[in-house]
Amino acid sequence: MSLTVGNRFPGASLVRMGEDGPETVDLAGYVAGRKVVLFALPGAYTGPCSTVHMPSFVRTAEAFRGKGVDEIICVAVNDPFVLKAWGEATGAAAAGITLLGDAEGKLTHALGMGFSAPHLGLIGRSNRYAVVLEDGVIAHANVDKPGECNISKGEELLAAL
Amino acid sequence: MLSVGDRLPDATLLRMGPDGPEQVRLSDRTAARKVVIFALPGAFTPTCDSAHLPSFIRTKAQYDARGVDEIICISVNDVHVMRYWGEMSGAAAAGITLLADPDASYTRAVGLAYDNPAVGFYNRSRRYALIAEDGVVTAMHLDQPGQCAISTGEALLEEL
Repeated sequence: MSLTVGNRFPGASLVRMGEDGPETVDLAGYVAGRKVVLFALPGAYTGPCSTVHMPSFVRTAEAFRGKGVDEIICVAVNDPFVLKAWGEATGAAAAGITLLGDAEGKLTHALGMGFSAPHLGLIGRSNRYAVVLEDGVIAHANVDKPGECNISKGEELLAAL
Repeated sequence: MLSVGDRLPDATLLRMGPDGPEQVRLSDRTAARKVVIFALPGAFTPTCDSAHLPSFIRTKAQYDARGVDEIICISVNDVHVMRYWGEMSGAAAAGITLLADPDASYTRAVGLAYDNPAVGFYNRSRRYALIAEDGVVTAMHLDQPGQCAISTGEALLEEL
């Protein structure tokens, strides 16, 4: 499975923090019949993710909505407790960005986007990408090279719409 | 499962140093010292945030007075998460050392890993607190899953 335009984005069971605690989200059902931006990054609280990648979508969230995007989703291989705290700390929650945890890394692995950097303590994390999904099918895909945060930023993906 | 009388495994953990993540050999922290180690399922989780970690912040000075050289908190999180959690919870300011076990190698070596997929936990640590003297466990307080009772700072302090 690769992030190629025209492919159906793989289904996955993700977790998010709900009103009453962690809850499971079936991604395929969640994105069905809607236009969704989904971006992924190596991890909450890591340098470029907190200082560059997430803020680029906080800045552009309104512009995406203006182009008919129903929801912006950030996926990371983190648990829902960490993602909730990070969503509040970065302003992502206030900007209406949904944070979903790929806690076991299954989606990331299925996409072939996983990497490990044991000396940094990052195991089975996701490289950076941003896609637009229309009814679950990849309509745009901006996949960064490992270690980079360029074309998967909010402004870059916005330019594709 | 780790018990009184056992020697701690010679694990390598991570902490955030001035130039980024750095490795810490547990044996270097425990050799010829009296050390408290407590472990919990995850940073930013409600019980860990509201009860377990604060109990060691409250009791840190009493441990100091009873000859404990260092209090170490270990969790299966990455070093970035541990750093921010330490800052936001006040643990770093209280002088508690937070060490990350990101691949769970230490937690599995001591036989205390568990999964709870419903909340996104894989290979996380059960909740416990121990005292180690020269790397050998002299007191072990392992809580039942879902509880934070005998592994608190106050409960372990009674061993000293």
